[in-house]
Amino acid sequence: MWRRIALASLALCAAAPASAEKPTGGLVPGHWEFFGQAEVELTAFAESPAFAGQAHHDASVALRPTLLAEWLDGNLAFKLTPFLRLDAADDRRTHFDVREAKLDYRTDNWAFTVGADFVFWGKTEAVHLVDIINSDDGVESLDLEDKLGQPMLRATRFSDFGAFSLYYLPYFRKPTFPGVDGRLRGQLPVDMGAVDFRNDGDEWAPSFALRWAHVIGDVDFGISGFYGTSRDAAFEPTNFTALGQPTALKPVYDTIAQVGFDGQYTSDATLWKLEAIGRQGQLDRNGEATNYVAITGGLEYTLFGVADSNADLGLILEGSWDSRGDAALTPFEEDAIYGMRLALNDESDTSVLLIGTTDVVSGGTSVRLEAERRVFGSWKAEVEAQVFVNPQRSDLEYDLRRDSFVRLKLSYFW
Amino acid sequence: MADDLNTEAPLAVGTGKAQRLASLIVAMRWVWPVVTLALLAVAFIGLTKISFDPSARQFFSEENPDRVALDAFEAEFSKDDNVMIVLVPKDGDVFTPEMLALQGRITECAWQLPYVRRVNSLTNFQNTSAEGDDMLVRDLVPDLPYGAQQPGAACDLASVDASAVSPETAAAAREIATSRVELVNSMTSATGHVAQVQVLFKLPQVDKAVEVPTVVREAFVLRDAIEAAYPNVDVKLSGSTVINNQFAVSGAEDGSTLTPAMFIAILLIVGLMLRSVVGVAMTLIVIVVSALCGMASLGWTGTALNSVTILAPLMISILAVASAVHVLASVRQTMAETADRKEWARRALSEHMAAISVACITTAIGFFSLNFSISPPFRELGNVVGFGVLVSWFLNLTLLPAMITFLPMKQRQDTSSARKWMVALGEFVVVNHKAVLPVSLFVVAGLGFGVTKLVAEDDFIRYFDERYEFRTDTDFIEENLTGLNLLEWPVDSGEDQGINNPDYLAKVAAFADWLRAQPEVTYVRSVTDTIKRLNMNMHGDDPAYLRLPETREEASQYLFLYELSLNYGMDLTDQINVTRSALRINAAMPFVTTEQMRGIMARADAWFAANAPELQTTPTGLSYVFSLISHRDVRAMLSGTVVALVLISGVILLVLWDWRIGLISLVPNLVPALMGFGLWGYSVGYVTLAIAVVIAATLGIVVDDTVHFLMKYKTARRKGLSPEDSVRYVFDRVGMALLVTTLALVAGFFVLSFSGFAVNGDLAKLTLITIAFALIADFFLLPALLIPLDNMSRKTGAKMMTNGVAKKGAAAVAVLVTAAVVALLSGKAEAQTAEAKGLAIAVEADKRDLGWGDQTVNGAMVLRDARGTESRREFRSLNLEDQSPGNGDKGIIVFSTPRDIRGTALLTHSKIEPADDDQWLFLPAIKRVKRISSSNRTGKFVSSEFSYEDLGSQEVGDYDYKHLKDEPCPGEAGLTCFVVESYPKNPRSGYSKRVGWIDTDHYRLYKIDFYNRRGEQEKTLTFAGYKQYLNQYWRADVLRMENQQTGKSTDLVWENYEFRTGLKERDFDSQVLPRMAR
Repeated sequence: MWRRIALASLALCAAAPASAEKPTGGLVPGHWEFFGQAEVELTAFAESPAFAGQAHHDASVALRPTLLAEWLDGNLAFKLTPFLRLDAADDRRTHFDVREAKLDYRTDNWAFTVGADFVFWGKTEAVHLVDIINSDDGVESLDLEDKLGQPMLRATRFSDFGAFSLYYLPYFRKPTFPGVDGRLRGQLPVDMGAVDFRNDGDEWAPSFALRWAHVIGDVDFGISGFYGTSRDAAFEPTNFTALGQPTALKPVYDTIAQVGFDGQYTSDATLWKLEAIGRQGQLDRNGEATNYVAITGGLEYTLFGVADSNADLGLILEGSWDSRGDAALTPFEEDAIYGMRLALNDESDTSVLLIGTTDVVSGGTSVRLEAERRVFGSWKAEVEAQVFVNPQRSDLEYDLRRDSFVRLKLSYFW
Repeated sequence: MADDLNTEAPLAVGTGKAQRLASLIVAMRWVWPVVTLALLAVAFIGLTKISFDPSARQFFSEENPDRVALDAFEAEFSKDDNVMIVLVPKDGDVFTPEMLALQGRITECAWQLPYVRRVNSLTNFQNTSAEGDDMLVRDLVPDLPYGAQQPGAACDLASVDASAVSPETAAAAREIATSRVELVNSMTSATGHVAQVQVLFKLPQVDKAVEVPTVVREAFVLRDAIEAAYPNVDVKLSGSTVINNQFAVSGAEDGSTLTPAMFIAILLIVGLMLRSVVGVAMTLIVIVVSALCGMASLGWTGTALNSVTILAPLMISILAVASAVHVLASVRQTMAETADRKEWARRALSEHMAAISVACITTAIGFFSLNFSISPPFRELGNVVGFGVLVSWFLNLTLLPAMITFLPMKQRQDTSSARKWMVALGEFVVVNHKAVLPVSLFVVAGLGFGVTKLVAEDDFIRYFDERYEFRTDTDFIEENLTGLNLLEWPVDSGEDQGINNPDYLAKVAAFADWLRAQPEVTYVRSVTDTIKRLNMNMHGDDPAYLRLPETREEASQYLFLYELSLNYGMDLTDQINVTRSALRINAAMPFVTTEQMRGIMARADAWFAANAPELQTTPTGLSYVFSLISHRDVRAMLSGTVVALVLISGVILLVLWDWRIGLISLVPNLVPALMGFGLWGYSVGYVTLAIAVVIAATLGIVVDDTVHFLMKYKTARRKGLSPEDSVRYVFDRVGMALLVTTLALVAGFFVLSFSGFAVNGDLAKLTLITIAFALIADFFLLPALLIPLDNMSRKTGAKMMTNGVAKKGAAAVAVLVTAAVVALLSGKAEAQTAEAKGLAIAVEADKRDLGWGDQTVNGAMVLRDARGTESRREFRSLNLEDQSPGNGDKGIIVFSTPRDIRGTALLTHSKIEPADDDQWLFLPAIKRVKRISSSNRTGKFVSSEFSYEDLGSQEVGDYDYKHLKDEPCPGEAGLTCFVVESYPKNPRSGYSKRVGWIDTDHYRLYKIDFYNRRGEQEKTLTFAGYKQYLNQYWRADVLRMENQQTGKSTDLVWENYEFRTGLKERDFDSQVLPRMAR
């Protein structure tokens, strides 16, 4: 394992920033650039593991280079962003993904994409209900903001009535889950090799999505629809021992249909946010296909220049509700989310995000801290920490009760 | 009236909870009257704060760009608040000595009207003639013995002395007046059978509810006096002030005549149905309180009442009745079974609470969505009605049941016989559904096609129908004298005193001639006509010289001489602006349609482009603004309608909890508006701006029937009935209720449609047609769709959701929708020389920087602290000029270093102060575009010494100015600089003032000193390395901001400017931002 890390460090040193600008014309790109980031990460857990096989601590390196080439005054662009992580503790976390490998073409009112890309839909800070195109790269982080590159054909029409996008997603990317050695997982590890598609399909069952996003005055909103393989897995026990005890979970997927609304109203320093979805056919915690609605919303209020300084303090208050209650495969079935974001607005872009989530029914709470600061010009230091307070047996977080952690990250950008 | 029988669970949404809530409401019945009284008290305070502001301009918001242009135009020339007094002698001759003497006297009398600024008449027309080498300016009918009129004394019309005008003078006056382009079809007709005395006012605009009515009342007194003294003279009154007054008159009249009629209609229907005086009284209480509370919201929000919102209480009443009917009808049903009044109330509530809630919420959403309209009266109408409906929702579910338990209502045993008819109708539809569907679709398509025949027609004069004297007088004037629709072209020469330029004059005169040749135009006013005549006068009245003077000096001298000789109040300031750089050309058109007017404007544009591209100008005038309003509002309301449709459909989907049936419900919800508009297109053809808001407003109303129908249908299906039997069941149980509520709504809007004010009348008529079609669609089209579709999918065996989830979801959505609605609602110098010069410098500097189009530039920001430590950020900046009123330029900044923020982009749509800019941030790591707050003016941009305010687009209107002195430019001693102080108008600015050094040659900024709120100098910004681009625009390469108080400084270094690179509006769309930020 450590030899792999050393190798990655070498690769890191070899990488040098590069870019060039040339007159356009022909097959030679008018502009090309090679940039990216490399990071080293150390994670310390506060308590010993809850389950057999889990590591005590973790170290990891990751590399994310990007090659960008543009033609036709930037209207045609090719982007390739592979991602590689080498992890000391968890073999599942050692993985490779192509985050982006796509060709974008844009005219005044149209845009087309062919290839793998990641897409974000939504407005709220904590729970991303509407966002559905990409599968989670679940080994990366608990905040579920790391996504696997999704192969797609996309056409977008920009008009005075907003942007209309149509997606054809030919291939389903299976979300990743921590392995046996990894922390931050449930009691039974997920067997990534086993998978069951209820819809009798496989990864090649196509999905379709469309979205209308528009801005009217101070209101930004999007309305979206999705039909295809659910990006959210349900689980079934598998790999039984001789005594009939399961030793792993098998992810199960089914076809769903979802409509979503996300909106934000910007009023002075207050942002009012709302996301809502209705989904049909989602497998729940008991493996049954259900229809449900989920809503999240709230506000973000920014105090500019607190205490006569240059810093801005954003207060975040959101709530989320899921009609399935405890049968939901989300920790956010009936939760209050509260937090603050402090941006110092200094030369180093120092910022701190502190966010708490409390299940209003069970009282289970988790508090998360993310802090970052630029150091030595092109480096960034980050601290990520999460504490699980009195998780209840009914909560999904219960399995994480001994996994409170601090993670330090140092990234180099070129 | 047959509604649910008590033997069944009435609604798809949970019954147990509804019963518990109903019991609670009934148990707390003593609370509701008290709460209502408290509401009333709050309402009354609000009602006392309501003011009344009727005028034609109410339809245009302050932000409407056409209105902004009109206001700017009127500020430059003058605002035409006028009253036209048109004399029509029965013998058809206004040039008899007697008539001329009378006109002289009326001219004099008109000066006694309040706020009068100027009086124009035939007799005081400033006629010029040659007198030797000189020019003589005289009244057309000179030397009239007016006699000393006491100010304020009644005007003495009886003692007009006809002998003061000799027959020769009268003949000369006729000769001149009927031959001058300045007068014909304006002050008199070519045949001389009518004459106008035009009174112009300068209204102080302090108490708008009083000024206009006062002026018009006095004008009518004058008219009556004339007609009394001269029975053989008819007097017609019109003009913009009379029009404005008419908005008030018709509003008040609608309020006073329609209100009683509507209450009678409503009470008749309710009375007939309930056959209970007490029931009618209870309904009355609910609708009156709802209407009062709705109106009180106007007072509390400080919004003035106007001729549209005056109908709001009537609309609230109509809508409130529908819910009350449901409750009371149920009571009548229960009466037959028990004498327990509390049980009546409980049962009515538990059965109808959900349906009434859905009905009220969707109706309120529909009306609240009128906030998307660009026309304030409709926004206000939407808010008042929406709020009133929400109040009625509350009252119908609390006060009404409470009253049912208190007040003695006679217990009746009879049941309705009309129910048979409904059952028969249901049977008919079920049996014939295979035929009903194609027939309905055919009818819908046929009627729908009529939509293509709709033409927007906003002639604000003909908003008022012939019942008003104003309208008949105005029609007469347009037929016999001149048009009241005016298009105004401000033609700017581009230089001070430029109106004397012979080239310019020639082009303006050519344009005036071209306008005169247009078939729609009866009269064109242009100073060039006066100048031509002056030229002739100065050449001994030689007709060969009836043309423009050849030199600038001549033109300027003639005008100067002429203006010196004009009588008091007759000057040319309403036709020439103060700097004498622009003339005003206006064209009067009688009986023009909006379409014709747009045609003329387009032709005029083409004329300018072909003949005088440098003078190209956009017309303005109230008629122009009206001609565009429907167009603009239909576009704006399209979004509002879609939002309302999505929200309302969402509510329906949640309540029905069935995608399929929810989708089917869209058909009967949307089809009625299509049919209504189509019918209107075939029968009437033209619509006023009311059309824009109709779909959104009616959507919430028409869905009520659909929801009732489908809820019952689902109940029946769940009980295992086949689709056919379910439809029979629906007709049996709710058919009558739907019919009666629809009748009540139709009757209410029918009364409203009698409004003599076309905007209100059209709104009411379209609404009533739509509602009526909705019932027809629900009775025929909906079952015809349901039966085959539901039979088809029955085989696939769709699962149904559990009750509990649906209910929870519905409750959550109700709360969130309410929150969304609340969010939607809360949206909401005359100078001394130094000030004038300061402003002029700012205007000039701004003007010199107009027209650059778009630019891209690379920037670097170098931050230096007091110890000299540097940090650096580099970025690309893209900018697009936006000259539309109210907007500043648009810009994108994309960072390239530091590397960790590479690709982060900030999009800004600037707005003129004090409006906040719109800003979006693009975060490349997660590809998220986030709208951010831009209310932070004083914060430092990425910790530099530049605040957001410093970097925002700077517009002339953001500051007040004062010119201090001229001195050598700092850092460029060879140049002279104006030193100008500017004071930010926005109270949130971080500065008390800025002092700027602007060079006199090219109006470039060399230095700005910034003074903080405490008045201390805080920062200094210096500019260096100016280069000129496109031979016009100057840009500095280095901007250095130094903070005197902290010793820190920031350099902003620009390089590689490129202009007109082909950036488009679309590139600055927030949706496109991810593609702009590479």
